[in-house]
This record gives sequence, structure tokens and C-alpha cells, in this order.
Amino acid sequence: MGNLTKVMSLAEAASLVQDGDSVFTGGWTVVRKPMGMVYELIRQRKRDLHLVSNPGGPEIDLLIGAGCVSMTETNYIGHEVFGHPYNFRRAVEMGPEQSGFHHDDWTVQTGTMRIVAGAMGLPFLPTLSLKGSDIINPDLDPVRHLRGKDPRLPKQKVAFMRDPFWEGQEVVLVPALRPDVCIIHTQEVGDQGTVRTRGGNFMDCYAAMAAKTTIVTAERVVPEDSLKELPELNSIPGHLVHAIVELPYGGHPTAVRGCYDNDPWWFKEYLAASRNREKFAAWLTDWVLGVPDHAAYLAKVGSQRLQHLQADPVLGYNPHIKRRLDRLEEVQ
Amino acid sequence: MGVHAQQGSYSGLEMMVVAASRLLQNGEMVLVGTGLPLVGATLAKNTHAPAMTIVMEAVAFDSRPLALPFCVADPRGVYHTPWTPTAFETLGQLLQNRRIDAGFLGGAQVDKYGNINSTCVGPYLSPHKRFEGSGGACDIAALAGRTIIIIGHERKRFVEQVDYITSPGWRCRDYHTGALVDRVELGLWGGPEAVVSTMGVMKFDPETKEMYLAEYFAELGVTPAEVTANTGFAMDTSRAKPFTPPLVSELEVLRTLVDPEGIYMKY
Repeated sequence: MGNLTKVMSLAEAASLVQDGDSVFTGGWTVVRKPMGMVYELIRQRKRDLHLVSNPGGPEIDLLIGAGCVSMTETNYIGHEVFGHPYNFRRAVEMGPEQSGFHHDDWTVQTGTMRIVAGAMGLPFLPTLSLKGSDIINPDLDPVRHLRGKDPRLPKQKVAFMRDPFWEGQEVVLVPALRPDVCIIHTQEVGDQGTVRTRGGNFMDCYAAMAAKTTIVTAERVVPEDSLKELPELNSIPGHLVHAIVELPYGGHPTAVRGCYDNDPWWFKEYLAASRNREKFAAWLTDWVLGVPDHAAYLAKVGSQRLQHLQADPVLGYNPHIKRRLDRLEEVQ
Repeated sequence: MGVHAQQGSYSGLEMMVVAASRLLQNGEMVLVGTGLPLVGATLAKNTHAPAMTIVMEAVAFDSRPLALPFCVADPRGVYHTPWTPTAFETLGQLLQNRRIDAGFLGGAQVDKYGNINSTCVGPYLSPHKRFEGSGGACDIAALAGRTIIIIGHERKRFVEQVDYITSPGWRCRDYHTGALVDRVELGLWGGPEAVVSTMGVMKFDPETKEMYLAEYFAELGVTPAEVTANTGFAMDTSRAKPFTPPLVSELEVLRTLVDPEGIYMKY
């Protein structure tokens, strides 16, 4: 990327995602997920997305429920202790013929091997995990019939090899992930794309290296030079970043260390709605499709509630927030 | 050794977490999953195992949370850790390089060989109920020095054979033949040390690799016969002993420090 400005609007950045793309969403389950961008992808009615997060959270359940997804290759899709991923669950239980959705199961460790292989330009990496598990049972490969046909899928799930160098034990080879697009939400990004993340990088830096296009939304876009004082705190060089969007609360309702905590009220409402297909459709209209943009979304959440989620700058989270959904009280 | 809590002053859930926490040793490096494992490990860290190193696969090494993390990536777990690795380091390196003494896992089903299912109920390709998936559980069960499993005791959860082996136990899937074989034949080390439930502590026979009842929560009124009745396979109870009840101090730490809100403990 040259010196052309990469800073753009959320809608412009989302238009870089094409129907049918393989997309890696950064963050980890209910932490630092690119939710604002995901809402915009839904508003732009993206279709046939192939999602490869490691691991997935509400962003994947939401995209599945909105009908944007044809396949997921992940180790986990869920909301952690908040509750179950009902859209994902319903799509799997319905079966691919009816739902048009396929899911392939992996693990956290092999997910990291796969995205690191993608980052390294390698076709695969070996692991000692997966042995003994049905995850590599050849009779239980749910997308076997698509392998060799869908170019986004590796031709087979795994392969086996004897270590030719040392003790000669059998290792499992796992295929690289090669996402078209990587979408990250973070605390700070320079106006040329340098990323500075707090509270763990998760797989973001590898995914940015593996993907053809990387989009970064951030709480703050800062002058690039201000990130050069302490360069060791930066995690992704701007050269790997193609689009930058300033998006305060772009991770809401997930937690962004030092900025805001998980929004338990959002999860309570989302979980109640997503249990049922019709209720979820109404929720989606109310919270995403009927909301023109991110500013309108934040206005709908309301400044009082956003204030209530503010993280303590030292602790990185909000120590006062109550997190038990069955005893949640309304924000006063 | 401290004062034992009065009978009737604690729940099966509390007994389970206390029993699981006692299996973690001071000085060990432990990989901990979200949910009850995190509660049990935090309890151990704040009672008998202050020098235990808690590793959360997403980001936290030697975590010392002041408040209970909601998941393994929660900023609560990141606070005051000396190192914030990625899962490439925690599971790709620490775990695979045999530096993790114990893994601490939950699940939806467990079978007599200690295989865990956290993927689905019913046939995998057309499940009745789909769950979130492995996360790091399969990796931890395969590669930790030993595994401790924590799971509520119900007949539908303690099954002859799990519907899907998410995480391998003592006799698990040979991916070449589809048969169940000893994990050592697949080149795996480690294996489940114990299953801790709401009724007792189960261990595995070194010869048959099958689960047996080692201790039962007698003070909660549990009997070996009741454990058998709530288990979906024939379980040997001939070696069972009553479990030493929780200490007042253990319960106090659990209730006031580890999970005061009752997020997991549901007081």
C-alpha cells in the first residue's frame, strides 16, 4: 500500500468484503470482536460468507442468523457463560439441505496452526493434537462432499506423516487458512494502519499476514508518528492494513480492554430473541437492518448504558458491573 | 487442617468445585477452561496452591484475577499477568512441548474411558442438540500431563460411549481404523486423572482404563448405589470411600472471593 489514505467510512470498508469471501474475524469469543463491522456487513446483505475465526463469538452467530454465511471452519462458536449460540445451533440441527449452512469442527491449537501456516505462506503445518478425537474421524467429515469442489476448502481435512527427522512418531498435518479478508477491531490504529492492541493480540496479527485484505476498525485513529515512540507495543505493521475506520464502541457488546466491558444487557436480549427464529428476525430488524449506521446504533444503545460499561483504566474492565443475567437490573 | 463445614451448609455444586480444586497441586502449571474449571482453579490458587501457575489459553499466563473471568480472554484474567501470549504460544508451544502439568476441562458427556463430548447430542452429522464445540478442550485432553474433568452427575451425561469424542480419554478413536484403542498407541501421553461430579470423585483403573468410584459425597446424602443409579454404564464402586467435606475456609474463599456474584455457583 502506498501513502494513499486508507481511512474511510464503515460502509466503504465493508464494501471491500465480497459475497462468497472467506473472512477471518479477529478477537476471541466475547472479547474485542469487530461487531460494528459485522452489523454493517449484515446491512449490506452479504451472502455466502465462509467464516474462519479462531474462535468465534456473537459475531458468527449473528451472521449465521442473518443468512450471510454458507460455511464456518472454527473450533468454537458461542457467547461463553452468557448462553448458547442459538442461530448456529438451529442451522446445524436443521441440516445443510434445509439451512444451506455447513460447519466443520476444529480446535484452538490447530486453528492457530492453520492461520500461522497461512501467515507463513505454507500449505500446512504439523500438530500432535487431534489424535484420538472424532474431529479427524474420516467418516464424520461434514464437508467431505464439498472438498475438491469448493475452492475455499482444503481438498482434505487432515493428512498424516511420520516424522522423518527425529523419533519417527506420526504427526497430523493441518491445512493453512487462507482468508480473503481479515477484520479486526482494536483500541488504536495509526492513520497509516499500524495496530496497537491491549489485552492480547489473539490470532489477529497472523490473520492480517495470512489475509489478502485486512480491515481495521478502532476506538481511535491516531497520528501514525505517535505510535513510533514505543514501537514494541505495536502488533501489526500498517503495510498489511488496507482499510481503517474510526469506530468508537465498534466492539460493543464484546469487551475491549481499557475501554469497555461486555454488555450483559445486550446478551440477555440477544439470547432471548435468538432462541426463536421469528423473534430473532424482529431483533435483527430492530437492532441492525432498521438502524442506518453505527452512530444510530450507539444512540439506540444509549449513552447511559455505554457509560455504565466504561472500563477502569488501571484494571482494564469494569469492576462494578454485575454479570449474572438472571439477576440483571436495568441501568438507572 | 482447618474446620470442616457443617453438614447441609453447602451445595453439591460447591462440593464438586472444592473436590476438583483439591486435585490441583501447589507449584503446578495448569491450563484452565472457561466455566467451573476456572472457578476450581481460582479456588485452589487462593487456598492450598498459591504457587500454582494458571494459564488461560487465549491470553493469560500466571493469571491472578481479582474478579472471576467470564472467559479465557476476559480482561479480568489479563490484569497483572506477567505475559500475554497468544494461543499459538499457550497451546502450540507450552502445551505441545509438555510444559503443562494439568488440564482442567468441563463437557456435556463423559464416557467410561474418560472421553469427553462438548460438541453435540445425537449423531454428529444430524445432531439433536448442537453445542459450541471443542475450543481448546481436545488439544488439552490430548497433550496435558494429566486431565481433570468436572461435570454434573446425571445418567445422560455419564454414558457408556459418548456421541462424539471431542476430547480423547484413555481409550479413544484410532483415526486409521475407527476402533477404540489405548491412547498410548496413538502416541499420546497424559490422560484423565479424575472425573469430579456433583456426587463424587471418579478415577480410572490402571489395568482396564475404566472409570470407578473413588470417593462419594456422603455428607450430601450420596450413596454408592445412588451414583450407580445415575451412571449410564456399569461402574465399580467397591473401592469407594466417603469424601472429606469442605473446610469452612474453602467455602468462604469460594463465596466471598472466587465467585461472590454466583455467576457459576448460582447461589
